[in-house]
Amino acid sequence: MKLLRELLFPVIAVLVAFVVGGVIVWVIGDNPFEVYGLLLGSALTWPDGIGYTLFYATPLIFTGLAVAVAFRCGLLNIGAEGQLYAAAFACAWVSIKLGGTVIKGFDGSPIAYGWASLPAVLLVPLALAAAMVVGGAWGAVPGWLKARFGAHEVITTIMMNFIAVSLVSYFTQYYYKAPGDPIMESVPIGESAHIARLGSFVPGLPERLPLNVAFLLAILACVLVYVFLWRTKWGYEIRATGANPSAAEYGGINVRKQIILAMAVSGALAGMVGINEVLGYRYRYYHEFSASYGFTGIAVALLGRNHPVGVFLAAILFGMLIRGGIFVDAFSQHVTKDLVEVLQAIVILFVAAEALFRGPFSRFGLLKRSKV
Amino acid sequence: MKLRMFLAAALVCALLVAGTSCRQETRADEKGKIRVGIVFDIGGKDDRSFNAAAYDGVKCAETGRHPDGTPCEKPSLGIMLRDVEPGNPTSIEPAMRAFAERGYDLIIGVGFAQAPIMETVAKDYPNINFAIVDGASELPNVASLVFKEHEGSYLVGMIAAKESKTGKIGFIGGMDIGLIHRFAKGYEEGAKAARPDAEVMVNYVGVTDGAWNNPGKGKELALAQIGKGADVIFTAAGNSGLGAFDAVEQAGKDSSGRATHFVIGVDSNQNCVKPGFVLTSMVKRVDNAVYQIVSDVVEKKFKGGFHVYGLEADGVAYSMDKCNQQLIGPDVLQQAEQAKQKIIAGQVKVTDAMKQ
Repeated sequence: MKLLRELLFPVIAVLVAFVVGGVIVWVIGDNPFEVYGLLLGSALTWPDGIGYTLFYATPLIFTGLAVAVAFRCGLLNIGAEGQLYAAAFACAWVSIKLGGTVIKGFDGSPIAYGWASLPAVLLVPLALAAAMVVGGAWGAVPGWLKARFGAHEVITTIMMNFIAVSLVSYFTQYYYKAPGDPIMESVPIGESAHIARLGSFVPGLPERLPLNVAFLLAILACVLVYVFLWRTKWGYEIRATGANPSAAEYGGINVRKQIILAMAVSGALAGMVGINEVLGYRYRYYHEFSASYGFTGIAVALLGRNHPVGVFLAAILFGMLIRGGIFVDAFSQHVTKDLVEVLQAIVILFVAAEALFRGPFSRFGLLKRSKV
Repeated sequence: MKLRMFLAAALVCALLVAGTSCRQETRADEKGKIRVGIVFDIGGKDDRSFNAAAYDGVKCAETGRHPDGTPCEKPSLGIMLRDVEPGNPTSIEPAMRAFAERGYDLIIGVGFAQAPIMETVAKDYPNINFAIVDGASELPNVASLVFKEHEGSYLVGMIAAKESKTGKIGFIGGMDIGLIHRFAKGYEEGAKAARPDAEVMVNYVGVTDGAWNNPGKGKELALAQIGKGADVIFTAAGNSGLGAFDAVEQAGKDSSGRATHFVIGVDSNQNCVKPGFVLTSMVKRVDNAVYQIVSDVVEKKFKGGFHVYGLEADGVAYSMDKCNQQLIGPDVLQQAEQAKQKIIAGQVKVTDAMKQ
């Protein structure tokens, strides 16, 4: 019953968004049933639709969890975007340097980028660790600034986004790009750093789908975040800080430490996006690879009510919308993929304006005010 | 009462969703027609330059009309056209695959950044024809549509040097890459051929994708070149080039009503963007190339490999129209025309900066 109540508003918000979106489609001049058929049909077919939906959902699970953890501590982490860029580059850097990348130069002679060529058992964990540590550090800095100087995390995280993107672009452009490559991307990572695509061991799933082991890591991250927040002392202290910092401090909790810890965990989670993109999909750092995952993660956390289960479901929904949006753009008569953005916006609007529904529902005793 | 309304609404929505999800391919793709899918670059189809030209080409093939409704000089090919504007690099591959999954006859990618992606997709679908604009691929089912930008740039370089009063001319490139070096090198050679003492200033907006979309920086560079004495500036910088248009307009006109500084447009015909200030445009007929490849597929003559468009078939050209015919002297035009014939005949070789 409690779960049902938690799910009620997000589900209503999504349904209302679809109805409003349908009206918009109708006004534009397409048949809403056809457009939704296209949207959901393309997102839910096996194997391509589902494979891509889950692939798109993977980074959103990570960033959704990242925002949720910070939010449980009363912090709004707008910096997941920067954290994941810094982390993705770090991940690629380790996989290039220790993966023994060698490319062919203009004259055919090999150019070595790597220092060493480690086997997969060592390299993959190191690359994972690099992504999480750098992402975590990038998140911890605004945490420390908040704890030490009271600098507002919204300002500092958003500033850190710009720094991260510019910094990794600089390194990519001047040190890690193949000579003459017109595309802003690093040289490929060492082959031993590639992580398996799910298609290589799931029957019926073709290996060309980019869905990879990072999706399983994302599920694992959901479980671990749940355990961390609700079953450990640290998680309890983070939640207590988020609920009421003064009371938490009075209760003997070091609030400053909790802020830094929450931001570091948040950054590490956001950084794991790099694993999906670099180790599992492109096998290199690619400029602007993130389709605003860090910012969409805020919406995912909001819709998922800052709970790992909710984040997982919301990320799947957004993954469906991204996948379906491409098909709507391609195969509908008038509607473009902007419809997807309209749908997302309406969902967020309705989730945010929850109080609008709360009145009528609570009158019938269907709902009580939710507790932290 | 309100509750009931909400529940009713929710029920309707649920039905709506359930009702649609099982009707997957409601849009019957019109039978018998050749189906063409085009995937644009991040700039989108309304960039007034490169993507817009590609869109124009496929639109002419579909309807016989330009996107603005005016008739094309070429007939409609009766194809069915679908397009995607990916918006971010992550959506390019699934967009191509979306067309491939549905067995489209031709899939066109716009821009060099799509070349590696098209390689991986085209390998999975050897029976589908692909075409990449500005990119290169070795696969037999991929047509690489490339242009001899250096030759067109050579001609506008000649015109620039001839029309310059100071003997100093400028070049503003977008991203500092081989493709744009090709423009710069040809331009410089053309200028030197027309006027051996010509001085060419070369600047680039930047090194990232953002360099195509930074008119502010484009204007700054143009003003700096004007400050150093340049009076004709050739831009090959996408949207950033429009900043140079502002800069020459700001420099104004002399007492006779002729502009003191000129700009040369690129890719699409930009002569009328700021009439009187645009000397000419180095047009790259992406529209013709795209139309041609569609017509090849329709006539079942599709061939993979390189399709090179040079001066001979107006694949690249300098554009003349009502907005600039007063600006260029007949003797200059005659000289440019002669140079064009010599290049086509192979008597003059223009250096291709990408093949050095």
